[in-house]
Amino acid sequence: MAKTILIVDDSESIREVVSFTLENAGYNIIVAIDGQDAIKHFDGQIIDLLLTDLHMPNMNGIELIREVRKINDYTRIPILFLTTESQRDKKMEAKDAGATGWIIKPFVPAKLLAAINKVMR
Amino acid sequence: MDNFQKKFIEEATDLINDLEQALLSLEKQPKDTEIVASVFRIMHSLKGGGGMFGFDEISNFTHNLETIYDEIRNGNLLVTEELLSITFSSVDHLRNLLDPEALKNEQISKNHNILLSKVEGILKKHDKKIIETQIPETEKEESVQTFYIYFGPNESIMDNGTNPLYLLDELNTIGNCNVYTRTQKIPLLSKFNFSKCYTSWEVFLVTKEPVASIQDVFIFVEDESELEISNIANFDILSESEILDKIEDLFDEKSHFDLSILSPFINNYEKEKKNKIDTVTEKLSTFTKENVISSIRVSSDKIDELMNLVSELVTSQASLSLFVEENKVQELNQLAENIENITRQLRDTAFNISLIPIETMLTRFHRLIRDLSTEFGKNIDFITEGAETELDKTLIQGLTDPLMHIIRNSVDHGIESEKERVKLGKTLKGMIYLKAYYSGANVVIKIQDDGKGIDLAKVRQKAISKELIQHDSKLTERELLDIIFLPGFSTAENVTDVSGRGVGMDVVKRKIEEIRGTVELDSKTNVGTTITIKLPLTLSIIDGLLVMIGNTKYVMPLNLVNKIYAVNHQDFKKAYNNIIIIDGEQIPFYYLRDEFEIDTEPLEVEQMVIVKYEDKKIGLAVDDVIGEYQAVLKPLGKLYKNHEIISGATILGDGTIALVLDTNKIIHEFSFKN
Repeated sequence: MAKTILIVDDSESIREVVSFTLENAGYNIIVAIDGQDAIKHFDGQIIDLLLTDLHMPNMNGIELIREVRKINDYTRIPILFLTTESQRDKKMEAKDAGATGWIIKPFVPAKLLAAINKVMR
Repeated sequence: MDNFQKKFIEEATDLINDLEQALLSLEKQPKDTEIVASVFRIMHSLKGGGGMFGFDEISNFTHNLETIYDEIRNGNLLVTEELLSITFSSVDHLRNLLDPEALKNEQISKNHNILLSKVEGILKKHDKKIIETQIPETEKEESVQTFYIYFGPNESIMDNGTNPLYLLDELNTIGNCNVYTRTQKIPLLSKFNFSKCYTSWEVFLVTKEPVASIQDVFIFVEDESELEISNIANFDILSESEILDKIEDLFDEKSHFDLSILSPFINNYEKEKKNKIDTVTEKLSTFTKENVISSIRVSSDKIDELMNLVSELVTSQASLSLFVEENKVQELNQLAENIENITRQLRDTAFNISLIPIETMLTRFHRLIRDLSTEFGKNIDFITEGAETELDKTLIQGLTDPLMHIIRNSVDHGIESEKERVKLGKTLKGMIYLKAYYSGANVVIKIQDDGKGIDLAKVRQKAISKELIQHDSKLTERELLDIIFLPGFSTAENVTDVSGRGVGMDVVKRKIEEIRGTVELDSKTNVGTTITIKLPLTLSIIDGLLVMIGNTKYVMPLNLVNKIYAVNHQDFKKAYNNIIIIDGEQIPFYYLRDEFEIDTEPLEVEQMVIVKYEDKKIGLAVDDVIGEYQAVLKPLGKLYKNHEIISGATILGDGTIALVLDTNKIIHEFSFKN
């Protein structure tokens, strides 16, 4: 069965291009526009991977990661976050919050898939 | 433009509008952290999106701005009016950048750079190592290496959603792996916690990828794991059975591989391999050295301007030197000498710049010969040597036409048809050989063919019929050949399309002489014809010897001057047949005072300048020698252009004029006359 990935980003264009890439790679995609929107999806349904931006209004990525790790069934799912090269300290913060890894923006589809491949088969 | 880009432009337009709104609020409440945060977030999105969808300029442009607002957000920097005004301009500029072609517009591109440097300026003031430059991805190394990797994950690594087996899998994708699993830490079942990781791994990885690719595999976990990556060999150890055996021997249930034992063992192998690699890299480095040409293109107008300025400088410098000498200003002496030296160096360098290899014109000749060969049904090889010889570009321009004419003559009159060549026992293929080389301050160009040569009897006949010589003139071969250069002489029986263009060898000679060159012709029946052209390296400045005859100053080319002797006037008068004995050597001389018909009273002691002429030494007697002089050569003008013995004039430091003597021509002319 196809794996399900939840994509969280406040930028519609990023959401679209990421969804497009991952759908083509055979994944099921759910999208959310920020942390608050995303947290609703962790209601018992199967989510194999969370892919989230860090800078978002309402609930940002780090808060989202922290919340997800507290919810039963999701404490060990792989979580990747989107970041930029310059945000070194953000990386550590997100990892401390429970993230598995990150993807550096900008990225090409191959890099995105490679990063996902590191944490999920 | 694909749909994603369109979407991004829509979204970015909204973001930029939001940014403008946020900045307006920020202007009113510069300390409001929430507003700063939203400014930052918008820039972050613009940067990220820009990079994703191919709007790299937007991404690059926003990068430093984003950093600034990040610093403000962290309380390290304050919102200033200057910053706000730059940011507002940036907002407008970002709108422009949404057009992918925007930077082709000069105005926008200029603005782009100004804003970038302003933003950078703020960051620099703020200092820190914030200005990041992108680190270029290291190039993949081509050669195979073997790495030893020890990966000991933290026990709780799986809590973060990491599966270490995936990482080992990934290692397998970048090269050939031998993996040894360490399981000794796994506890008894009663104490076993299934969410913990007790295992560690040792890997021998053979790959062409750089070490960075291996580090990349562990990038998510390197902070909470024990990780050791070391290069143990620059070759594939997994295909060396001896090494594999050694590894098996060293394997110990309880502890890691001891690299201090393994490494020396591998080293022996490595040494052998390294020798080979070294030779290869050596070859590679010489190869790249040869291929690095650092040169720039400059318009020839700029070079001409530079040359003019150098000429002016040389003249001014001469005035300065003269002033210093006349006024005996001690303090200026050293300075004037320095300036003279520097000017000389500058002059030489500037001349070097305007030199171009004659190769540039040879291509045309290759083409010419190819075309003519087809036309005449002759089979001709064109061989060149010294194509890298450099000449002043004006010389090359002046030389192209005469050379083309000479080559045409060779193809048309010189090289025989295949039939004739067979009869004469020559090779089927004719040959034209062009050789260029340096000879002192001259460049010599030789054009040689292996054709039938010049028929001297025909030349004689023709010269008589054209009334160029008397019916009974007794002329040497040399003199007969020189006739070919006289105006109005042409031996071609039928005026062909190629050589008969109303241009004879006289024009060739004149054109070469216009660029201060000389041309000589040699020919041997059925062996071929050789034309030798001798050219000065450059036209406009010469190192000269300033001399005085009567009340006039003259300049002789210094490179031709051999020696200078003081001679009593009486000795000149007594000399028989214009030959004087100096240092036991008989030297023919010309008494220039007489030759120039100057009738003022001569000095008691006069100077004799010995100059080189072909391979002989000839004396030229003058009143006085003043000294060395860098002469900027100026043409004499139309009216005097036929005075061959004077190649030009130069302006001296005191504003007077000196004539520049062509000593070769003087000797040539006077020897004919006498």
